[in-house]
Amino acid sequence: MDTQTKKSHILWVIIGILVLFGIWCASFYNKLVTMNEGVDSQWAQVETQYQRRLDLIPNLVESVKGVMKQEGEIFGKIADARTHYANATSVDEKAKAAGEIETSLSRLLVIMENYPALKSADNVNTLMAQLEGTENRVSTERGRFNDTVQKYNVQIKQFPGSIIAPLFGFHERTYFDAVEGAQVAPAVKF
Amino acid sequence: MKNYYSYSTKILLGIMLGGFFVTTTFAYTPLSTPTGYVTDLAEMISPDEQQLLEAKLVEVEKTTSNEIAVVTIPSLQGDTIEYVAQKIFEDWKIGKAKQDNGVLLLIARDDKKLRIEVGYGLEGALPDATAHAIIQNDITPLFKQGRYSEGISIGVSKIIEATKGEYVASPESNNISNPLTGITGNGLIIIFVIVSIFQWLAAILARSKEWWLGGILGAIVGIGIWKYFLFTLFSGSLIFLILTLIGLTFDYIVSAGYERSAASGGNPPWWTGGNSFGGGSGGFGGFGGGSSGGGGSSGSW
Repeated sequence: MDTQTKKSHILWVIIGILVLFGIWCASFYNKLVTMNEGVDSQWAQVETQYQRRLDLIPNLVESVKGVMKQEGEIFGKIADARTHYANATSVDEKAKAAGEIETSLSRLLVIMENYPALKSADNVNTLMAQLEGTENRVSTERGRFNDTVQKYNVQIKQFPGSIIAPLFGFHERTYFDAVEGAQVAPAVKF
Repeated sequence: MKNYYSYSTKILLGIMLGGFFVTTTFAYTPLSTPTGYVTDLAEMISPDEQQLLEAKLVEVEKTTSNEIAVVTIPSLQGDTIEYVAQKIFEDWKIGKAKQDNGVLLLIARDDKKLRIEVGYGLEGALPDATAHAIIQNDITPLFKQGRYSEGISIGVSKIIEATKGEYVASPESNNISNPLTGITGNGLIIIFVIVSIFQWLAAILARSKEWWLGGILGAIVGIGIWKYFLFTLFSGSLIFLILTLIGLTFDYIVSAGYERSAASGGNPPWWTGGNSFGGGSGGFGGFGGGSSGGGGSSGSW
């Protein structure tokens, strides 16, 4: 075997390795695209539940307003928070506005406890059951959102990903964190 | 309505939990694979009642395709009932995959807490307020008296009642023909009958080494058709001949198949007959791949 054929052999091996590497890169890229989309679609799920909550709040406000006449301030805050949410466009803005709603809603719930008359109202009870279910849905979908973000982040931070992901323009996604204020929800006596 | 306070507490808790999800670790350990619709780990249901419930829920799955699971656990081990219910739902995938029509009734004995977790697909039929009413009005009053079997039974009945309207084997899936085969529900029954007769005949014919019996049977059927449908001599005798030949060939094939498998010590192929369909009586066949999104309601007693 002369050096000429030896050289061409090596060339073929190198080409083969490059092709395999290209295929691997493509499949890795596709995987990241899929996971990134998964994060987006899970966020959409969270927003669906936010919307559900948003739709419930006016009913609740309507049904307690009559009894809670002198609490105009909190109703105003809730209305403001709803407007902020409706006007929010980016994910960050929406998350912030949702936090605002949570804060004002928590306050309303606390204040409601000063009005024993509400406790026996059937429509208030039904609305509270719905609100409770919605809050649980929100926390479920948020938990799943964080799970999908975590899987995605691990993928782009671990070794091959940490080098390849930036080349394709994939960035770390941020976890959902409860907005300050919602975390320090006032304690309720029960 | 003294549950009012526990509501707001739970809602506040839910809001707070949303933020802590990343950092909080939970004690939940996955349950083993379910063996039925009723999983009574805390031994709160009497054996009789459990059998009744299981049969009822098998029937529900058959008629509506809804999957309703009942689980009792001794303790939540510090988790919230919402979290555990959601985890069990996720692990077992209660409900059909595309329809998400599952319901989980979870009861934690020592924590005195229960939850109805509703799959995405049934949120319309069993809204949170209904789930709440079932817990408050039907289940917990009995639980307070220690009548657990009864409480669970009536709760399940109410859940069935509420979910009945949804996903009653929809027209699309029932009697419209399969686009691939063009076979309707009735057509399937006819095919089933034919296959059964075929199997039954094969079972008899295969065991005889000779293969003339099939020919005779074919001939008899041929004469029957000839006389019954009043065919002319020519077409009648043609049918007679063809069926005799088919009978002979059929008997020959099944006899040979039976011999071969008998010689090799294995099971005869299904078409030689002798084996039933095996376990076709129905029952719990595992959950269908459904999911839930935290819908439903919780309560305590």
